[in-house]
Amino acid sequence: MQQEGQAELLQEEIENVLASLSGTGDFLAEINEAVTNTSQGISANKGHDLPWPLLPLMVCEAICGLSERALPAAASIVFFKAAADVFDDIEDADAPDSLSSKYGAAVATNVATALLFVAEKALLRLKGRGVDDADIVRVIDVINSYYLRACFGQHQDIVLSGSSISEDRYLEMIEMKTALQLQCSCHAGALLGNGNDKLIDIFSNTGRCLGMAAQIGNDIRGVTAGNDIITRKISLPVIYALANTDESARQRTKIAFSKNGESITYANEIKEMLFQTGAIQYAMIKMETYRQEGLKRLLEARKIGAHIERLEPFFK
Amino acid sequence: MKSAGLQEMVRKIFSSEETKSQFVSDPNSIISQFELTETERKAVFATHAKLGLVTGNSNQLSAVVGPLTYWL
Repeated sequence: MQQEGQAELLQEEIENVLASLSGTGDFLAEINEAVTNTSQGISANKGHDLPWPLLPLMVCEAICGLSERALPAAASIVFFKAAADVFDDIEDADAPDSLSSKYGAAVATNVATALLFVAEKALLRLKGRGVDDADIVRVIDVINSYYLRACFGQHQDIVLSGSSISEDRYLEMIEMKTALQLQCSCHAGALLGNGNDKLIDIFSNTGRCLGMAAQIGNDIRGVTAGNDIITRKISLPVIYALANTDESARQRTKIAFSKNGESITYANEIKEMLFQTGAIQYAMIKMETYRQEGLKRLLEARKIGAHIERLEPFFK
Repeated sequence: MKSAGLQEMVRKIFSSEETKSQFVSDPNSIISQFELTETERKAVFATHAKLGLVTGNSNQLSAVVGPLTYWL
């Protein structure tokens, strides 16, 4: 099925899950706002061609040729991610257009909590898609386990905020916070596609690699645009600069990214320094290693019968 | 996982204008000096092919990075 068709079906699935909240006025409107913010509208034509919410459907289809049985899982993951995003905004308190900024932390917390329950309700709809009970239990366990690990990743991000962090620790943290969500999408899709353990493992790892590449790409964009420098966000290029540059560059980086420092008026200088010391180059190569690894996994899936034509372009 | 060989290589490349030029014109002459995994080697070559040396913002940089970030 083409992407647009799948997007419409997923949107419909989400609306069906939320139908029980009709008549709740602002409450439902705020839940819909959180879902829209997270899924960027799901539609395949919202300015780009990589609708992550469709990933479980694409993986399921790659294995068994059908995607509709994965719709409830795809909807559930959208709701879980929406909840995680709302909670993240409350914890960071730095996004002016977030639910918490607009409506307050109390409303946002309640919306995020509701999204968790809605996510579980979505999974129960797998029964209506012909998924047997044992597989439903497996999918529930898989998705909940992934998001529990994501909470641990978020915990690490919170407690390590402001302190120095090694590259290994940072990569571990972004794996749990970010990559894991794409890994979860692929894992659920493969499970529902009745993939064998090997295929499930391959697709899970493909999702993980895609997520890692995406987060590192986000890090690169954050420093090259300057935003992450102004907000002093520690990311891979910064960690490289702190460990691999001369004393002068290292000190400048340390001061610029110190949480207690004065406000940065020289973000362009820091950006230039990150380019000239190879920090951006290093991050680009790391991003590419994950992309290459993801592609390698995908090609392994093809060798054992999966149809990866729709997924392959995302890695090339 | 932190890549010691990759970090050393990037440090070497950016240590002087001479090594930067050498990497741009003949990347293998630099890469071969360091212990990299097969995936890392491929990644270095691929990044070199797409962007050369990444020393500033460019449309090419945005074109390579941008699409991946839409997955978040």
